[in-house]
Amino acid sequence: MIKKEIRKINEVGKALVSVEGNPGVALNHVVELVNASSDQSISFAKAINITEESTRFQVYIGTQGVSTKTKVRLHEVPTTVGFSQNMLGRSFDGIGHVTDKGPQIIFEKELPTQLDTLNPTVRLVPKQPLWTGVPMIDVFNTLVKSQKIPIFAGPTEPYNRLLAQIAKGAQADVIVFAGIGLKFDEHHYFKEELSKSGNMSKTIMFTHLAGESQIKGLMLPDVALSVSREFADQGKDVLVLLTDMTNWSNILRNVANYQDMIPSLQGYPGSLYSELARRYEVAADIEGAGSITIIGATTLESLEDPVPDNTGYITEGQFFLEGGKIKLARSLSRLKQQVNDKTRSDHRAIMTAMASLLADAEKAHEASEVGAANDSYSQKLLKYRSDFISQIEEPFGTPVELDQALDMCWDLLRKHFEPAETGITQKILTEYWNK
Amino acid sequence: MNEKVNKRTGKLINIQDSLVQVRFFDEVIMGETAEILVEEKSLQGEVLQIKSDPKNPEAGIVEMQVFEDLTGAKIGDEVVFTGQPLSVLLGPGLLTSVWDGLQNSLYYLSKTDPYLRPGMKAPALDEEIKWDFTPTVKPGDTVKGGDVIGSVPEGNFEHKILVPFAMGTCTIESIIEKKAVNITQTVAVAVDNQHIKHELKLAFRQPVKTPIPFKERSIPQEPISTGTRVIDLLAPVAYGGTVGNPGPFGAGKTVLQHTLCKYALADIIVMAACGERAGEAVEVFKDFAELKDPSTGQSLMNRMCIFGNTSSMPVAAREASVFIALTVGEYYRYQGYNVIMLADSTSRWAQALRERSGRQGDIPGPEAFPMDIPDQIKGMYQRAGSDAATGGSLTFIGTVSPAGGNFQEPVTQATMDSTGGFWGLSQDRADAKKYPAIDPLAYTTSQYNGFISKSDREKILHTLQETNSIDQTISTIGLKKVPIDKYILYQKGTTIDFCVLQQDGFHDVEACSRPDRLEVINDAVQTLIDSEIQFAQGERDDDDFKQHIKSKFDLFRQNWKDWNYNAVKEKQIAQLKEKVDNFILQKKDS
Repeated sequence: MIKKEIRKINEVGKALVSVEGNPGVALNHVVELVNASSDQSISFAKAINITEESTRFQVYIGTQGVSTKTKVRLHEVPTTVGFSQNMLGRSFDGIGHVTDKGPQIIFEKELPTQLDTLNPTVRLVPKQPLWTGVPMIDVFNTLVKSQKIPIFAGPTEPYNRLLAQIAKGAQADVIVFAGIGLKFDEHHYFKEELSKSGNMSKTIMFTHLAGESQIKGLMLPDVALSVSREFADQGKDVLVLLTDMTNWSNILRNVANYQDMIPSLQGYPGSLYSELARRYEVAADIEGAGSITIIGATTLESLEDPVPDNTGYITEGQFFLEGGKIKLARSLSRLKQQVNDKTRSDHRAIMTAMASLLADAEKAHEASEVGAANDSYSQKLLKYRSDFISQIEEPFGTPVELDQALDMCWDLLRKHFEPAETGITQKILTEYWNK
Repeated sequence: MNEKVNKRTGKLINIQDSLVQVRFFDEVIMGETAEILVEEKSLQGEVLQIKSDPKNPEAGIVEMQVFEDLTGAKIGDEVVFTGQPLSVLLGPGLLTSVWDGLQNSLYYLSKTDPYLRPGMKAPALDEEIKWDFTPTVKPGDTVKGGDVIGSVPEGNFEHKILVPFAMGTCTIESIIEKKAVNITQTVAVAVDNQHIKHELKLAFRQPVKTPIPFKERSIPQEPISTGTRVIDLLAPVAYGGTVGNPGPFGAGKTVLQHTLCKYALADIIVMAACGERAGEAVEVFKDFAELKDPSTGQSLMNRMCIFGNTSSMPVAAREASVFIALTVGEYYRYQGYNVIMLADSTSRWAQALRERSGRQGDIPGPEAFPMDIPDQIKGMYQRAGSDAATGGSLTFIGTVSPAGGNFQEPVTQATMDSTGGFWGLSQDRADAKKYPAIDPLAYTTSQYNGFISKSDREKILHTLQETNSIDQTISTIGLKKVPIDKYILYQKGTTIDFCVLQQDGFHDVEACSRPDRLEVINDAVQTLIDSEIQFAQGERDDDDFKQHIKSKFDLFRQNWKDWNYNAVKEKQIAQLKEKVDNFILQKKDS
């Protein structure tokens, strides 16, 4: 079938082009930009705003080199990504094109990338823990299959190292790596780590490198999540690693800006929350099928920045990385109570007690900085705090089983406190204090 | 009447995200809904604005928001105007239902596809179920909108069958005998003053932006036992009241909503999961179904219905979902029931308005919200209230998700201005895992009567205030500088905080304190505050003595906490008094 073509582009901006009139393009449908003389394909683009007078497109690989005589060829389908089991072990760009040197992939089917919402009634209430071997996660903020949770970290923190550490140990059938605005060495680091752990054969990497076209980066999560969802629909447990969603949000901000949208906070569009939610909400444990768990990385200067702030309202908690440690006070797994009452009988009690003592210790620490922690109890708390940071908040190193991690916690309590000071009920104390 | 002749249509001339412009030639009514026909799908939209067409003086342009994804829409696609404003179907079967934001039954939709696709529709209420209808009027009787013509049992409730509110005075021409009927069958025929016949059924549609009237609006008086101590003691809410519940993420808004769902004493709970996580709504309708209603002992879902317009669903439907849920609440209030509506979160609702007004090119107010957002929020909360004539009430508890946890932002401020109670969740308390993280000293107020006297409430608050300031002294100049009596006061306040205000929402006994228990607790708290505790300093220096006092309080707190978890029988509950008395006299306590 001959596809309809438009022979003139009226406006070319950053990432966007417009044509005059109404060529019959539908919203979110794909067009192809084609060199007028050589007939070679330049890029695909998507219709984002249609009026009687003009139609506006987002150009996937950017607009550098697009001529006013470039032809626009209509494809009359929404954006899709190719899917194949053979994608495992391979690397792709933000629009699902192969970037490694492996053999050609014959795609079994084309998946729409618009991420329709899963009907909430087919969601299972998440009840399966996902053990990581990191005590700060397993004891204090247990991860649950189908959870969506970001790592909040300053730009210089080892958040990618933590993502890799979790990915290496996590029990998933398929790992989908989705990197947006990555430096090449970060991409390389993940590939190495996953290969070393023997997980590369069940991993698909989607990478958008810093400096590549913004629209490719913008589309990457949808492409990666559509592929993830297909695996989950086929019964697989999928772990998606999204890094870094602040880069993604910044691209969203740029593109909204090119479209002259009214900004709400710090230049981000008012839809930032909904846009982030549409991606994170793909995480689910699906009745009669598999599951998708999403761990993201969100870099931040301040928690009040719109990206971490909106993310926090969307995700089911966060791991807060500071000084290379996962900080208890700012970390939270919202789903932990779904699973941590079915582990060891002291799990919840010790979690609560240690957190509450640490909060007191943080106050004593603040006081000590102005020389006010002068009583013996404060001194006790300070010692506890320092042990807690070095032993419990440390995420890197040999993985620790839950039992062992809980015993570590009791050791710490016994070392620093009297039983009554812990606030733990007598029943639990009798069972575990002298164990 | 011939439908075809009166079909009013238009054509799409501008499409951007969920906002479209439509050219029309006939008539358009502000606020009416329309079907947009896109690739054989019919998508629902709502008229927001009508303006003149600069290109064609014969035509006009309508601006509409569309509640579903418009992928595939083209210029020239047909739009059919319905003449009906956005409405909700009211009738038996509302309870236990789970819908999307536009009242499509989600369980029904899941039968054909696990994903929600644009254009999918499902009946709002089950049309198969037969309800045992008993008439209460007879032919010849005069009725008007809102009058009862009969009733059906709906679970434990007597569901009254009403004449649609929009109808004027009519005469009943015929009505069926006691019989089992479904919601599509006619149960009565009424004739109005113009001799037009109206078929009355068990269910009818009600516009959602027109409130269902009160019979006799009254001031909310009677406090609700929510089971959460910090609320019932310090910031109570009455049946028919309004509460704003702001908190930064992670402070426990959702857990608090779930706790209210489980334990608050009410006949009916309507939940609007508005722009929040799907998983949380799922937890409610799947897990809560296995929990027991505190009043009836039956499944908790029997008293609930849920509108799940979660965060990844179309933004435009968020606004609709809150109004739809409110209307359902008003309907049951009108029937004489005590309804609590939980909206999580009103900020997402406000953001939906912001996204829309941004696309419409309106001049933005603070933080790009529409200028009139305070009025819209006030108008929403005003629909709550109690009705002295029916004995029913609609209590509205809305969560607020302030950007950056900053309570100065427009939605939080407007909510404070609109509600009778305010439960401010604090980041600091949440960080210290002090749950529920309602900070009684900041952004927490209530104008309602509670279970304890206002003077007792004041005394507790005063003690907490003092405790807070001593706490600050300790962290700035050190414990050494705090006199013994102040230190004891500080320990008392800490005890009240730890044993009373903090509450484990996940423990069967501890999660819920009813008024009888509350009374015992309040007596204990008041005694503790008022009494001088018989500590003996002996040979100890001040530092040692403070350690001694702290260790005694530690034991006492552990003792009290054990009581929280274990005291179930009346006799056990009464033992708290003894524990406090013994502590004050520094007697050995078993």
